[in-house]
Formats: sequence, structure tokens, C-alpha cells
Amino acid sequence: MNAEPEGRLQGDALSLEEILALPAFEGCSQALLKKNLGAVVRRTYEPGDVICREGEYGSTAFLILEGETEVLLETPLAHLVGSPGRRGLLGGVKSFLQQLVRRDESDTERTPSSRSIPIDASVDLAQDHPVATLGEGELFGEMTCMSFYPRSATVRATTRVVALEMLRNILDILKRGSKTFKAQLDANYRERALATHLRSLPLFAGLTEEFIDGLRERVELVAYGPGDVIVKQGDEADALYLVRIGFVKVSQRSPGGEVILQYLRRGDYFGEMGLLGAGVRTASCTALDHVEVVRIGKTDFDRMIEHFPAIHEGMRETAAVHERENAERMRELSTVSVDDFLTQGLMQAQSLLLIDLDKCTRCDDCVRACASTHDDVTRLIRDGLRFDNYLVPTSCRSCHDPLCMIGCPVGSIRRRESKEIVIEDWCIGCGLCAKNCPYGNINMHEIGEGAQQAKAPSKAITCDLCTGLKEPSCVYACPHDAALRIDPQRFFRRGA
Amino acid sequence: MLIDRSHRGWAIFFGIALTTSTILYSMYVARAADGPSGGSFMGLLFGIAGTACMGAAALLTVRKTKPHWRVGRASAWLRGHLWLGALSFPLILFHAGFGFGGPLAAVLMGAFWVVFVTGVWGLLLQQILPRFITQQVPQETVYEQIDHVRVQLLEEAIALTRGSGSRSAVARKKTAGAIQGRVVESRAAIDVSEYDEARQPLIRFLDERMRPFFRRGYGGRTALGNPYRRQAMFAELKTKLHPELHPVAEDLEAICDQRAQLNTQRRLHHWLHGWLLVHVPLSWLVVVLTAVHAAVSLWYG
Repeated sequence: MNAEPEGRLQGDALSLEEILALPAFEGCSQALLKKNLGAVVRRTYEPGDVICREGEYGSTAFLILEGETEVLLETPLAHLVGSPGRRGLLGGVKSFLQQLVRRDESDTERTPSSRSIPIDASVDLAQDHPVATLGEGELFGEMTCMSFYPRSATVRATTRVVALEMLRNILDILKRGSKTFKAQLDANYRERALATHLRSLPLFAGLTEEFIDGLRERVELVAYGPGDVIVKQGDEADALYLVRIGFVKVSQRSPGGEVILQYLRRGDYFGEMGLLGAGVRTASCTALDHVEVVRIGKTDFDRMIEHFPAIHEGMRETAAVHERENAERMRELSTVSVDDFLTQGLMQAQSLLLIDLDKCTRCDDCVRACASTHDDVTRLIRDGLRFDNYLVPTSCRSCHDPLCMIGCPVGSIRRRESKEIVIEDWCIGCGLCAKNCPYGNINMHEIGEGAQQAKAPSKAITCDLCTGLKEPSCVYACPHDAALRIDPQRFFRRGA
Repeated sequence: MLIDRSHRGWAIFFGIALTTSTILYSMYVARAADGPSGGSFMGLLFGIAGTACMGAAALLTVRKTKPHWRVGRASAWLRGHLWLGALSFPLILFHAGFGFGGPLAAVLMGAFWVVFVTGVWGLLLQQILPRFITQQVPQETVYEQIDHVRVQLLEEAIALTRGSGSRSAVARKKTAGAIQGRVVESRAAIDVSEYDEARQPLIRFLDERMRPFFRRGYGGRTALGNPYRRQAMFAELKTKLHPELHPVAEDLEAICDQRAQLNTQRRLHHWLHGWLLVHVPLSWLVVVLTAVHAAVSLWYG
């Protein structure tokens, strides 16, 4: 994509007549289109040409006029592993012994909660084969265009492809002005993605095709702009929402102000707690950027939980867990005095790694233990800021407000049911989470043979609190009891 | 490892074991007509117990090579190492009857003494130095990164002196009050060209004073290494500079302070870990010689 400073694209710009001749633009304001001439260009791609590449930044969306493309993830869906150790007999013995003591990752880190990878198109990618096809009339790159997120996937022409590349102003005109276009997009979504979205959530995996067919026409597809409140705490609960595009902030009012409970993205859902509980919204949900949601009305929701008791039970359990966590968080926040340690963001942490510098002999056993636990790639750097006689090393804090999770184009960074933040193997290495982390606790690690290239493929890594183990390895391996994983609010309150 | 309340259980065990073995040894010596001997029943008993304690203590080295293994917290292993290692010392002395024996036993005993003394020395250092480093080196970095940071600091100083940089790259001040680590706002360099006459004193100071101080290692015994002289030298430098360039001199002084801290960190780090260079190899020597000593003693009965 080539954008000129004044917001016009380089290339085969379409004249007003050409634009109006396209069915997608039927009903759009001529005056507006005239003002934005040059913000949409026609591009032709030969088979094999890459239209956009995952991880790259851009500001345009593409509408396919002719031909077919494949959407894929180029970054391998791999788990980060450091350099291989000793080979041969000793290496084999070592490997065998390591297997005996290594945590069982089969059901923790390497097993994601959903079965598809959300991308910036009308389809999701299956985890076992992350390739999909997009054809005539399909739009991709919407989130990049509307909110400037990195491209979530690579799109490559499989036949000769003619596509329109457009800037946000044109996409806005199209979505607001052209009923045909909006209807086509919604129809594509209902047809191709709704079922995948619902089934990608383990909770809804049991929905029958028949039920989804019925739901398809009844759900509403609603769009919100940045800052729009989708549901407000205290209002009547009248629907369940499934996030289709964008990021949603879930927050609650507290005596000290607003407390962020969670960030939701494509594929996540909200609103079930109010529907299952007292019929009142327990939190507010606000659009962080351009957000589109699928609204499932209360009647359909009730029908769903009536027909599928397993879903009802699962939702009730999840809602109870969330309610408990939220209550605990609110209780903690209301009792902690706001003091200077806010300046380092320690208040934000749910689980903070501290090193007592009066005890630490700087032996780095914590770092070695971290590397040993995570396939020789350490997630801990024994350097950082100091708070009193404690070092706050570079290691994930599992923040109450996980800013790192905003904007991930493929939704690979997420929070588990508990507090830890994990980065799934389908991370495309765009580095947005690392940039978003205010504490520099996410690192980009180069992978594979490409590590020698100028722009080597990389993946983000962060501390996952050694999921699956009773205690993080850094703490367990500290011979001097200097490393501590603590809840800072309790710890410092006790200290005070 | 700090000796604190968490050692209470081990301290009690150590006290009981030491008292019991001392009483047993006293009784044994009182009854032994020819004096204590390592080959006697009691002597062998002390030898076996002491060797067992030594062996258990030595296992810490193995544990440390596998820090992620879930075989007990590393701190529990270290406590065991300290107290069993300490207990082995009197037991081995009782075994030897406070003598050195033949040449092999003498070498073994000598090495054992060194291991014990270096261990105690290391333990003492660990009670003092971590806290001392925390206080003296607020801008501490990872030890292996010291040289890298040193080079970065020098580059920053060069850029500042030439007016093409600002104090930001390594300028994390970790010293302000109880809350430390606030990033100091980067200060834009004064826009004076590199060849401006006003900068000549700065450039001369950098070349003549700072570069030697930033050499690899400790930077020699340069004047800037001494905090009082450093302060005086920068005060003098300011007298030669236009007031607009005083902030640059202050930034250079901060860089030199940080460099001095890195020197301190390196020195203290060597103290904190240097004893291990003697303690660990000699410990293994003691283990090997003990095995040889046992085999020879059994062979020649």
C-alpha cells in the first residue's frame, strides 16, 4: 500500500463515474465520493502475488472485485524453543530426565481455549490448517483500515485478482451509505463466520446446525464507534453480545473510579452475567475502537439455554467464577490506599515478581530456572526498577488492566481463566503487545532459520507464571528465598 | 543466604547433633587408652557420619545445575548444605582426633579446612554484601551487561559533548527517595555546533579525563574514580564553560557517577562470588580424596 501524505493512494485511482458504476457503491453520496477521489484505487494481482502481509502496518482495506485469494499465517504456529542442547547418549539421558520433571504442557500452554484464530476478515482460520479462501465481494483489512492495527494475516492471490484498496474515509462512506454493501457484508458474516465464531468458543461448541441456522437471521449486527457504551452497568440485561470486530473494555464503577475488568476482542462474548443473574448489567462494556458486535436477544438466549442445558451449566459456572474474581478485585482495590507506589504501576499488578535485594546474591539462578522451564528461552530479565529494597524485574505482572491485549490482530495474547497472560503459538510477531506493555515485560524473540535475515520472523514471549506448576520456577529455584511472587496490594499493605 | 528465623529447625538439629557428638567424642577419648583413632569403631562412626554430611552438602552443586527440577525448593537445599556442611566439620575432626594423619589424610584435611573456611567466609559475605550493593549501586545492572552499559555510557557522553545527543538512553535514575526508578525526562541537547569554541573544554575533558575512566575493567585508578575528586573536577570544568553548557557538564557527571557505580558493582560482585572459585573445586577435591582415603584405609586396614 502506498499512501500519499494528503490521504490519497498511489495507483490506478478510480474516477467518480467508475466508482458509481460499481454495485458496492450503490446509494453512496456522490458529493462525499467526489471529495474523496483518490482514496480508492483499483489493483490487479497475478496468481502468487502477496496483497498484504501479516504483521505489517497499514491503513487500507481491500474489497475483492474479481478472483480468489488465500488467507494464511506465514509465521509458523510454533512453540518457542531455544538452541538445542547436547546430542548423543548424554543428550538423550538429559532429555529423558527433563521429560520426567517438566510440567505437563499438553493441557496448559499449548492447548488454546478456542479452535480458530480470529483474523481481520469475514472468516476465521482453523488452528490445524490456518488457511482460508476469500472471493468476490469479500472485504478484508477492516480493522487495519479503521483502527490501524497490524495486518492479521497474509493474503495472496490464487487466481488473477482485481481488488479495490481503500482508505478509511471511503470505507466509512461505503458502510454508512451503501445499503447493498452493508447487507452483503452482513450476509457474508452470517453465512460464513457466525457459526465458526459461536463454535470457536468451547462453551458454544455443542450448538446444533439447526439452531445456528435459526439464529442466523435473527441476530442483529451492530456497529459502535470508539468510546460508545455498548452496555451500561445497572441497565436491564436484554441481550448477549459476541464481538465481531474491534476491542471492548469491560469495567465496573468503584469508589476510587473505574476498574477495568477485562478486554474483549473478536470471538469473545459478554452480557451473559446479567442474563443469567438478576437481569441487570453487572459491568459496563465500552467500544475501544471501531467495534462490531453480534447481538443475540434475550428470547434467543433463553431458548438456547433451554435447549442446551450443558451450555447453560457452563455459562453459569463461568459467570460465577467471573463474579467471584470481580468481587475480589473490587474488594482489594477499595481497601488499598493510593500512594506513591502507583507511580511504578505496581497497583496494576495482580502477581508481581519481586527480588529482595538484601537477600539476593545476584546468582541468576532465577533466570536459569526460567529458561530451563521454557525450552531455554527466558522470560525473566533480572533488571528493572527498584521499589524500596526490592527489584521489580522484567517479568509479566498480570496487570488488572492488561493493555498488552488491546489490538492483537490474531488474538494470540489472552488471559486464561486465572490471572496469567499467555501468548499462543499462532502469534505473528507484529510486536504490538510488546509496544503496548507499559512496563516492557513482553519481549520479541527471533525464531527459526530466519534469525539471520534482516527482518527475521519473531514471536512475542512473556511470563505465564509457569502455568501448570505449583510455583513459578524463578521463585522455586531461588536458593536465597529472595525471589517472591506476590499480590502487591496485600504484600505492601501487610508491610505498611 | 541470610541466616534468619527460617533456619531455626536446622539450627536446633545442628545444636543437638553437635552436643551429642561432642559428648560421645569426650566419652570415647576418655576411654581410649591409645588416644583417639580414625580406625577405631567410634572413629569410623564419626568418619562415616561426617562423610555422609559432606556428601549430602555436595549434592547442592548437582541441584543447582537443574534449577527447574521439582525436587524441593532450592533454598531448602541450600539450608541443608549450610548446616550439614557445618556439622561435617566437627565430625571429621572427631574422626581424625584433631590430627592430620599421613600425607594423604593431611592433604585431605588441609583441603577440608579451606573448604570450610571459604564456606564460612562466603556465608559471612552473603550476610553483608547484597545489602551493601543495594545501597552503594542504585543503578546496578546485570553483571554480564556491565561492559555493554559502559560502552553505551561512553557513546552517550560523546554525543552529549558534541551536542548531538541527549541524556536518555541509560539515564534511568534509580536513586530518588523510597520510590526509585523513575525515568528522568530526556533533556534536549543545546543546539551548539560540534566545532563551537564553547565546547572545546568539554571535548578536552572527554578525551583526557573521561575516556581513560571508561576503559575496560576498572578504568584504572583514574581521578574520576574518586567521588570527591570527581566532584571537584566537574566544578572546575563548569568554570571554563558557558552557563548554557552547564547542564551538559551535569549530565556528564551523572554518566561518570554511573560508571563509578559499575566499577563498584563489579568489585563487590567479585567479592560476593570470588570465594566460590576456591570453595567449589576444593569441595570436589575433598569428595574425591575422601573416597581415595576411605579406599586406602580399608585396603590397608
